[in-house]
Amino acid sequence: MNSKKMTLMAIVLLLAASGVVQARIKLVALPERGATVIRLDNPQWTLIEEERVLTLQQGINKVDFSWKGVSIDADSIRLRALDHPGKEVTLLNVSYPPNEAALVWEISCADNYAENVRISYLLRNIDRLITYKAIADKPETFVDLKSYLVLRNFSGEDFDKARVLLDYGEAFEQGIDHEETKQMLFLKADKVPITKIWTFDAAKLPWDPEKLENKNVGIPVSYRIVNDANSGLGEFALWGGKARLFQDDGQESTIFLGEDVSGMVPVGEKMELYIGDSRDIVVTQRKMKDIQINKVENNNDKVILYDTDEVITAKIENFKDGAAVLTMIQHIPGEWDMEKCTVDGKEWKLGVDYKKKNANTLEFEIKLPARDEDGPAAKELMMHYHRRHVRPR
Amino acid sequence: MKRVIILLTIIATSHLAEGKIDLVTLPERDSVQLTIYNSADLTLVREQRSLTLKKGWNWLQLSWANTLIDPTSLSLEPLAGGDKLEIRQLVFPARTQQVGQWLIHSQISGKLGFEITYFTSGLSWRAFYMGTLAQDEKTMELAGYVRIANNSGEEYENAQTRLIVGKVHILDQIAELAKRNYPYGSPIPVPGERGGFGRASGRDLRWAEVDHGLRQGLSCGYGGGAAGFGMARPKEIKKEGLSEYFLYTIEGTETIADKWGKRLLSFEAEDIEVESLYKYDEERWRGQTIRFVKFANDEEHNLGETPIPNGNVKIYRQADDLGHLSYVGGTSVKYIPVDEEVELNLGPARLVSVEPTLMVFKTDNYRFDSRRNIAGWDEIRTWKIEITNTRELPIEIEITRGFGTAYWTLVYVDIASVADDAISYEKHDATHARFTLKRTPRSKWTFGYTVTTYHGVREEVMPK
Repeated sequence: MNSKKMTLMAIVLLLAASGVVQARIKLVALPERGATVIRLDNPQWTLIEEERVLTLQQGINKVDFSWKGVSIDADSIRLRALDHPGKEVTLLNVSYPPNEAALVWEISCADNYAENVRISYLLRNIDRLITYKAIADKPETFVDLKSYLVLRNFSGEDFDKARVLLDYGEAFEQGIDHEETKQMLFLKADKVPITKIWTFDAAKLPWDPEKLENKNVGIPVSYRIVNDANSGLGEFALWGGKARLFQDDGQESTIFLGEDVSGMVPVGEKMELYIGDSRDIVVTQRKMKDIQINKVENNNDKVILYDTDEVITAKIENFKDGAAVLTMIQHIPGEWDMEKCTVDGKEWKLGVDYKKKNANTLEFEIKLPARDEDGPAAKELMMHYHRRHVRPR
Repeated sequence: MKRVIILLTIIATSHLAEGKIDLVTLPERDSVQLTIYNSADLTLVREQRSLTLKKGWNWLQLSWANTLIDPTSLSLEPLAGGDKLEIRQLVFPARTQQVGQWLIHSQISGKLGFEITYFTSGLSWRAFYMGTLAQDEKTMELAGYVRIANNSGEEYENAQTRLIVGKVHILDQIAELAKRNYPYGSPIPVPGERGGFGRASGRDLRWAEVDHGLRQGLSCGYGGGAAGFGMARPKEIKKEGLSEYFLYTIEGTETIADKWGKRLLSFEAEDIEVESLYKYDEERWRGQTIRFVKFANDEEHNLGETPIPNGNVKIYRQADDLGHLSYVGGTSVKYIPVDEEVELNLGPARLVSVEPTLMVFKTDNYRFDSRRNIAGWDEIRTWKIEITNTRELPIEIEITRGFGTAYWTLVYVDIASVADDAISYEKHDATHARFTLKRTPRSKWTFGYTVTTYHGVREEVMPK
């Protein structure tokens, strides 16, 4: 099949060394494109390398390279002699004719050669995407992970046959026409362990469901996958892309759990995919006390500095049949100290039972048993803290 | 009438590049399964077809013109003999639309079973409910229904139909993906088309009403194996929890023609004990008393088998002993997990009222700074709360009062001499108190409280 339009032309102009500067003459020879490499290791740019045979004569040769209907970064175009590099075939300069998508190489040649050259350039609008498809088992302990490479060619150029290179893995032969999209499986990993995470971030979610007037507060649910050898992965960074997650329903079928987009995941790092919201874990958080203490007044009896005495309670109910671990993120602005923190009345210690993610963010892992015949499993977090040295606004 | 078909063309090629067509077949679906979501315009379709492959390379072409299929979701898997088959790639050819071609290498020739899965837009379902209160309003019957609509452009015959209850996270609307000129978009922006993988702008499906869908009766059976011998019965819906979702599987198969809808009974529960609950909270309802019907999604209330999906509720009441009904009101119910309490908001109450009246206002305990400006004071308000229940039923009422400050104390005042019921209040949060009390039928009752709020330096008198 060769219905493609030729949009890229390499034209060799052989100039007698008369020193005559003349209007450029088009089309003397049209060397066939030889081996072509499409290199997709850079997510922003696609590098094309193509080999052609140029018939060069002893002396100065001018080679005209022009293109139309394609978007080439003119500054990226390179030419390399493969058979006689160095002094025998030397690129003297590159000139750009006015108002044309073209350039002219001036090449000095020691003899008459049919020289194999490699022309490389950055071509726009040909790229690749990565997508993931994961099927979790029914108990949600692992996923069978597949990753697909999607090649999109909207460059204006047809590639009959090219070697496609990614930043890892074997190169493969692939032709792709202009406006064609191809999807190929390129990674398959079975039984990749997952951790399921429920997260309540007090800065992002409503505190009191009652005030929402008949709307549920969904607790975001994510799957965590570690890109390491234990997961059957870890050989290379996982490229960012859209992931669709399914679950085996135990009836020889699957349900769709949700989709998310992942960034690049280096080896050893975690991929976290948000799949949907749980409405079976309900958090009701209220501020039960918020008063000023230890006030300091200036000479005008105006309060210029105070501390606060604040109490926050969060009731967490699990209506699910299964146990869950809720990651609860709490935020206390400014300078503060915790007077007492309890879960179900039992004191929790900072650094032991819960951790400080940064100066103003606390992370609690609340283990919730499954609902039983008496009703939902419930736990209550209480934080009694003081913000210090607050200045009135 | 089948408006749209999925065309399967098998092209066995001796030489890959030549694309010589050897065989064209149009295999029927062997079976089809629909898994329809209600939180997004999304249906997972899984169909099984038998295809005849030749040994060597085969092209399998699928076209889906005039449907709402998301081409990025297309997946082909062999049902058996997977080790003899390699699905090399899926090609969306240049200068064609709504066509995909799988390149398959087969080590065997003959008829093989395949499963094709994809997402489509246009199928939807929703839950809705009808509650019928007994005359004394102590119990209620509740019937839950699901209503499925097909606006997908495709007719699904004898499909196993499953419904998903849950809030699924999606990035792109399936309908938008289905309308793209190129399945994965283009690096060159196309006017009116979003690029690749942005976030969905909204997630709720607009429900397209299909009125003639109501022609399907509630309890007449729908064919497809549900009816058995003798009297037909409504189909059962099997419910099962999976991950954060509930999966409803409708017994047998359904045929859902394009643009048609179908209503099915999901559950029926009788003798659900309900409480008539009234709430008064000026900050939420601007002085109106709001009526609720309260029960729980648990065994004690003859429910609790599965969560109750969100949907609209219509509440009726038995008007007399002859089975006539009166319409009480309509509302919507949020998703109710198993064991959680349900409060159906029936709107403003006509027969129960709460009237707070400010009886005393005074200020006290002024403090002055060194310049003799006011630095602190107390505000003391005594409120009379009058509750009128003109109903012939006992009621429970919840009154929430806000004070606009976290510095307050409250004491009861014996305004009325009636003290047959103990009232209690709890600190609802830093700035609100909540009173709950029960009242007898046809009664008027008054209670009072004095709230003191502390301002300026007087805030310090608050107990630590």
